[in-house]
Amino acid sequence: MVPFYILLPVSILAGFVGAMAGMGGGVILIPALTLLGVDIKHAIAISILSVIATSSGSASAYVRDHITNLKVGMFLEMFTIVGALAGATITMVSSPRPLYIMFGSVLLGSWFALLWTKHVTWHEGEQDRFSRWLELEGSYYDAAAQKTITYKGRRAYLGAPLMFGAGLIAGLLGIGAGAVKVLIHDLVMGLPPKVSTTTSNLIIGVTALAGSSVYLIHGLIDPGLAAPVVVGVVAGAFLGTRVLVRISNQSVRRFFLVILIGLAAEMILRGIRGH
Amino acid sequence: MDLLLGYLLLSGVGLSMSLIIVGLIWRFFRIGHFSLDHQLAGMNLFEFLLTEIRMATSGDVSPRTLIDGGIAVLMLTPYLRVLASMLYFMLGLKNWKYTLFTGIVLAVLTFSLFIR
Repeated sequence: MVPFYILLPVSILAGFVGAMAGMGGGVILIPALTLLGVDIKHAIAISILSVIATSSGSASAYVRDHITNLKVGMFLEMFTIVGALAGATITMVSSPRPLYIMFGSVLLGSWFALLWTKHVTWHEGEQDRFSRWLELEGSYYDAAAQKTITYKGRRAYLGAPLMFGAGLIAGLLGIGAGAVKVLIHDLVMGLPPKVSTTTSNLIIGVTALAGSSVYLIHGLIDPGLAAPVVVGVVAGAFLGTRVLVRISNQSVRRFFLVILIGLAAEMILRGIRGH
Repeated sequence: MDLLLGYLLLSGVGLSMSLIIVGLIWRFFRIGHFSLDHQLAGMNLFEFLLTEIRMATSGDVSPRTLIDGGIAVLMLTPYLRVLASMLYFMLGLKNWKYTLFTGIVLAVLTFSLFIR
């Protein structure tokens, strides 16, 4: 049983680093917890619980700024929650080693994505009939650009099944999979970046709830672990977002590239070797 | 409405964190360290909530009640948010398409809260 005075600082650190890189605490938390000797399924269960907290916290700010698109969110949530239920169920029946390998692979994928991030300029595009029927258009006032931006979401027929996949990853690995979701919103559905990020945040909380309900039923939520970890991650994330504005994008990106590749290698090796 | 949803989310997380923190501190004062020795037997969220309410109303309040209560509130927060969204689409915007979509999300979540 990992002592409280180790769990709390580790969780704060995980939340802090996660918030700084916009990747959520799970990516750091789960490897850290497993290194401390926590079984990976317990770590995943606790992590997904903390994801509810961090995403709801940040979503609350964005919703109040009227940037989040509720319709896009609600439509896609139908698919992510089913994915999350499926993912969590798979984790329950899976043996630990493949979980380590899958987790490491997702980290590796995130590393590649981070390495090759190009800035795709968002532009208005043609909306297909399905997306029009779904009423996926909206507008928001961009304080930075000082103007109201109108947009039309599109390719919902593609976004929906992809979001099922994102939900699957989230439920399976106990992470928010925010990066995947933002990518889908951004590239596939053509939402402006701020709308992607904020709507994704809203969806993540509900997806995490679906996943954690499966873990709860199987008694995998250990309050002794959950209490300090969730509080720690939330505290860390809170601090992280405060600090984020003061640090350059480049430093954060470089720092995170190192961390990600390290954790990815570690998790994959553990999975292969059977720790 | 966006404001309402935003504050709902914020208060949910805030309340949850407060309950857990107070519970942990109380535990510390009771036994001198922070570790908890109870487990959440495999139950769904609905049963969890019932147990919590029963404990709270019977006056059997302990650090455990607060901490478990905090976890329960945390899990309820997104659920209530979806419920509020559905009511908004249904009563506020009278948008039946999205009332249906939100209703489906709510139904799936409710299912996950009740399965054994």
